[in-house]
Amino acid sequence: MITLYDYELSGNCYKLRLLMSFLGIDHKTVPIDFYPGREHKSEWFLKLNPLGQLPVIEDDGLILRDAQAILVYLASKYDPSGKWYPRDNPALLGEISQWLAFADGITATASAARLHDALFYDFDIDAARAGAHRLFRILDEHLWFGEQQGRDWICSAAHPTIADIACFPYIMLSEEGGIPRQDYPAIRRWCDRVKRIKGFIVMSGVFPAGPARAAA
Amino acid sequence: MLEEARSRWHPIAAAHDLPFRHVFHGQLLGREFAVWRADDGYVNIWENRCLHRGVRLSIGINDGRELKCQYHGWRYSNRTAGCTYIPAHPADAPARTITNRTFPAVERYGLVWSSEEPLGEVPDVAGLAEGKLLALRGIAVNAPADQVVERLKAYRFQPNGAIDGDAAETLIEAAQDFAVALRSRDGAAETLGVFFVQPADSNRSVIRGVLDRDAEGSAHIAVLRHHNERLSRLRDEAERDMANAPAPAPIEPVYERVSAELAEMPELTAHGRKAALRVTVARKWQTADGIAGFELRPIKGILPTFQPGAHIDVHMPNGEIRQYSITNGPGETDSFVIGVKLERDSKGGSKCMHETVREGDVLAISEPRNNFPLRRDAIKTIFVAGGIGITPLLAMAQALNNQELTHELHYFAQGEEHLAFADRLRALGDALKPHLGFSPDETGAELRRVLTGYRNGMHLYICGPGPMLEAARKIAAEQGWPDSAVHFEYFKNTNKIDDSSSFEVALARSCVTLQVPAGKTILQVMRESGIDVPSSCEQGACGTCMATVIEGEPDHQDVYLNDAERKAGTKIMTCVSRAKSARLVLDI
Repeated sequence: MITLYDYELSGNCYKLRLLMSFLGIDHKTVPIDFYPGREHKSEWFLKLNPLGQLPVIEDDGLILRDAQAILVYLASKYDPSGKWYPRDNPALLGEISQWLAFADGITATASAARLHDALFYDFDIDAARAGAHRLFRILDEHLWFGEQQGRDWICSAAHPTIADIACFPYIMLSEEGGIPRQDYPAIRRWCDRVKRIKGFIVMSGVFPAGPARAAA
Repeated sequence: MLEEARSRWHPIAAAHDLPFRHVFHGQLLGREFAVWRADDGYVNIWENRCLHRGVRLSIGINDGRELKCQYHGWRYSNRTAGCTYIPAHPADAPARTITNRTFPAVERYGLVWSSEEPLGEVPDVAGLAEGKLLALRGIAVNAPADQVVERLKAYRFQPNGAIDGDAAETLIEAAQDFAVALRSRDGAAETLGVFFVQPADSNRSVIRGVLDRDAEGSAHIAVLRHHNERLSRLRDEAERDMANAPAPAPIEPVYERVSAELAEMPELTAHGRKAALRVTVARKWQTADGIAGFELRPIKGILPTFQPGAHIDVHMPNGEIRQYSITNGPGETDSFVIGVKLERDSKGGSKCMHETVREGDVLAISEPRNNFPLRRDAIKTIFVAGGIGITPLLAMAQALNNQELTHELHYFAQGEEHLAFADRLRALGDALKPHLGFSPDETGAELRRVLTGYRNGMHLYICGPGPMLEAARKIAAEQGWPDSAVHFEYFKNTNKIDDSSSFEVALARSCVTLQVPAGKTILQVMRESGIDVPSSCEQGACGTCMATVIEGEPDHQDVYLNDAERKAGTKIMTCVSRAKSARLVLDI
């Protein structure tokens, strides 16, 4: 069984919980006392991940770190529909990788702002917030034109991919870092769509959406 | 300029910002809005804070009919913004003062317009005809509106027909405080663009552009991108300038504690039953054999909030007053729909409604009152309706259906042709269980079957003719249903009222002691002394005139209280019940 080294308040860990819930994968959780215990910097954990970061998974003897990398692995191995990470579609794989990197940017900005505000990290808060707003503007524009062209998700497929999962948590949690999403209406609508994917689960700070309107 | 801006209409969203089942987060002059489109198309613009704990409603859930706050689940109705349910008080109907502040909403030119205190209508914009317009992507700018307007005067763009060119000439057609109209010409191609600037806050604006025509095919996206690119550039320049200037202080919106209309005490009248509302009969139809449906629309404004189980008093042309349950589903707030059964021994009420009242007539009605509130925390809810008793239960079943809460509606009627409101019943799907043509004995057997299997957390609601209601209550008790889980509403009180006693009533809060002689009710005596007490049916069935007993022993003659409540002796229906003791002290 997959073991997830997990912290409830981590958006990066939530990405994996989300995908595993969408795919219906059973897993075991090892809670890591990220704050205030700093267990992710403990000697035993550094042996798992020398970067001292969450999340980490262990599956069939494979130890893997980095949320985006783990999304790629889990979707490749456990998604029989092949939709979350379509290995036979090079253009789509390229797009997904592009947005996985973008998600790293969101982590470096929106998540950093949240760590500053909520867990007292010593970051340049103005730079973090400004950086997040810059990324959110780009994503909002991308999603707005997507809607105009009948595309609901970040990549140009008719279904969500791991790129949507990778970008979602720290956008949803951005207000905890003092980053309002009021000026990003297309992002707000996309968040509703993500929340309506079958199998969606919440985490602390992420609220559920109601059901979509039934087709008349 | 911003002070004056309060009385103007401003766009606060694009129509495409409001898909169904979404809550848009808007802002105008510092005031935040939760904006949502109900399934009936109505656009709600509300103060963005739950009346309970102030949490933003823009993170709430739009279920198509109501908006639910994420924090403690308070529900607010489409159109009225009145609270319909408080999960922490599942057995109570929320007070009417729990109504959120609403702002006017008008959809025009592909935009949604609002205002804090609007003077006049949404302005007509020369050159923009409804229907073939193109609303551009809204561009949020961290800069004051006046500076954005200044920059827009120098905005240059290509007309739709020559989007790839670069030779267009753009002229200012009109410029106002919050809008600039520009006409772009390139050869024969020509496009009028009107750019409204929404003052979100002192230092934040949104450019909402509308073009006088759409573009077909791939040109559609090309035009949208063209403006998006150029307006984004304009935004970046405006923000670069602002980076060096001190930002103005944010606007502090004034929050009303409660609207003036709701804060006022109702007018005192000698007559206790008030008909505050005027409605027209928009539709009258035969909804079942012997049952007329009436759709009542407000003459002006909107109707007040109702909850499932609520009723209204209808004041009829012949002077009679009758109570009818509102059958509407949640959020269905543009009219009240009631069902009236023609009673064979009608004393003028149902006869008047059936024979005299016609479509187009004006009726006086009371505000909705809910003495039959619906809990929404049951693990399973069973409704038992007999005949016209369907009306309050229909409203309840629709509410639970909308929230996907487990329920069954058992509808006892003489035959198929006696089932009222067929379209509403159909929408309930499998939850509807009709039981047709049963004799009283068969009904009893069926009820025994329906009411077996009581588990803690289930609730039962019964409404129907007296004998059936009595039978259902008795069977429920036999099957182990506690009084607290059985809720019922009688149409009328068929008890013979004994008003031969005389006694003293002390009103503790009012510091008055009154003598109630034989032949007069407590309610009448209080009214004669100028004490205004709400009432509705005045025969001990509806529960409106209920008072709390502090001291003394009530002589219950109503059909509203259940046995446990009667025994407790702490409540009394002042319209029919009296005192067994020489003195009653009431909390009035």
